[in-house]
Amino acid sequence: MNIRENPWLLLPVLLAASLLVGGLALGMGEHWINPLSPGDDMASRIVWELRWPRILTAFAVGGLLALAGAWFQVLLGNPLAEPYVLGVAGSAAVGAISAMALFPDAAWVMSIGAFIGAWVGIAVVLAFAHLGTARLLLAGVVLAAFWGAVLMLLIALLPERGVVRAYAWMMGDLSNSLLPGWSLLLAWAVALACGLLLSLSLDKLLLGEKHAEALGVDVYRLRRQLLLLASAVTAIAVTAAGTIGFVGLVVPHLMRLLFGSLHRSVLIASAFGGGLLLIMADSAARMVIAPAELPVGVLTAMIGVPVFLWLLLRRTS
Amino acid sequence: MMQIQQLSLSRGDKRLFAELSMQAKAGEVVVILGPNGAGKSTLLLALAGLHAADSGDVRYHGTSMAACSKHELAQLIAWQGELPPTEFGLTVRQRLELAANATSATAADIDVALTHMQLQALAGRSLGALSSGERQRAEIAAVMVRDCPVLLLDEPTAHLDMRHQVDCLKLIRREARHGRLVFSVLHDLQHAAAVADTVVLLDGKGGICVGKALEMLTAERLAPVFGVSLQGSGRDLRPLYREYDEEA
Repeated sequence: MNIRENPWLLLPVLLAASLLVGGLALGMGEHWINPLSPGDDMASRIVWELRWPRILTAFAVGGLLALAGAWFQVLLGNPLAEPYVLGVAGSAAVGAISAMALFPDAAWVMSIGAFIGAWVGIAVVLAFAHLGTARLLLAGVVLAAFWGAVLMLLIALLPERGVVRAYAWMMGDLSNSLLPGWSLLLAWAVALACGLLLSLSLDKLLLGEKHAEALGVDVYRLRRQLLLLASAVTAIAVTAAGTIGFVGLVVPHLMRLLFGSLHRSVLIASAFGGGLLLIMADSAARMVIAPAELPVGVLTAMIGVPVFLWLLLRRTS
Repeated sequence: MMQIQQLSLSRGDKRLFAELSMQAKAGEVVVILGPNGAGKSTLLLALAGLHAADSGDVRYHGTSMAACSKHELAQLIAWQGELPPTEFGLTVRQRLELAANATSATAADIDVALTHMQLQALAGRSLGALSSGERQRAEIAAVMVRDCPVLLLDEPTAHLDMRHQVDCLKLIRREARHGRLVFSVLHDLQHAAAVADTVVLLDGKGGICVGKALEMLTAERLAPVFGVSLQGSGRDLRPLYREYDEEA
């Protein structure tokens, strides 16, 4: 049996890999803790109150980002698209940093600010949804630049202590998500299911809009659905963990190289693969300079980019 | 089978032509001729339901196309247009499977189409690894596999070598013999003469002329439209290249 032809065969493999990586990540840290019998109270609390929710969050956020990346890539017909391509991360960051500037004492307002900011960004992008792909992409790039400028303005006005927190958020942080891990996992499952329902239409969209339409796809409706779905998923991921780059760009690519381009395989593999990559990156981020932590977004880039380049070279040779 | 009623088309702000009316029946091959930019491809797109007309109507079996869903149109019409993008690494077989999925074609039908276009050896290759001619053959196979009563072909012989051009033209005649209605944009007058029952000539200035192939494929009719000197008629119709040598 061939995994490329039957993507459901991926599921048990990916589930097993997730349990293994999750279990290992639970135990890893400054001191190794066996997550099945954590021993004394302190270790038990570290595992169940700190690491377990964080691993769930990492898995769901990584999977959501990878799914959003896969969707944006086919929506924009451009394999270099990523979840933040239309400026959603920028508007979320503006929301988060403004909230922080207004209420510097409450950490959770950053999440609410990010969520509102992300949806403002989405609303602006949706106004351009009826335009063709090229102009939508152009609008997204210009909007991203605009949000970037607003962000720089905000940071210039912040006190020094705020600047440090702003940068930490912008580089991704899984340690204090306002959204509980189980709710993110639910969002992950719903997003994957929606994606799989659309997978055949998505495959046809790979042939271009005209060809997809000639094959019976209502392209206009599909574009709106995809834009909303991908943006909503990006908004949730950004709200939970700040901006984490490269997962959404690299993971769908890797999965296409490994399992072919049909979306049933790409979406299942990306949802799990993105999650696994982010768990591993976050575990490494906790340990490399322990007891201090690296920003996880830095590590995703450092792991993701070399792997991606290696696969690209291997594929073309 | 198909009625075009007072169809007027624009591309962007430019009006291409107004009030084209004609009928075509199953088993007929209609060739669309005209200079670049005259609206040949846009006409095909409009017939496929992929381009909105300014006014007028296209009816298949008496039913207005505007009343059909995208899904119903996909059962009725197979359209071949520009080569699809290759960035995402679909294979030739996957390309045909996506086409077949819109109708009730089976894996066996896909193999038949691959064989017809001599693509068996390339079936597992990614589209991006093929030459333009090979990709064009995959597009023709993708149209054939759909088994639709109406075929709309936009320069099906583009990129093809001589052998596959001949194969492609034979295939067009064969599909017509099997009772399909074929519209094809062609540039080569000999190709047009080889397959056409009817010719639609767009002159690029808004003028349209529809007629039997024998009457249409003459030097008198085509030379002024294309702005070249032609000699002969029907299958012998060809440009006078020697005249250009003398000019130079």
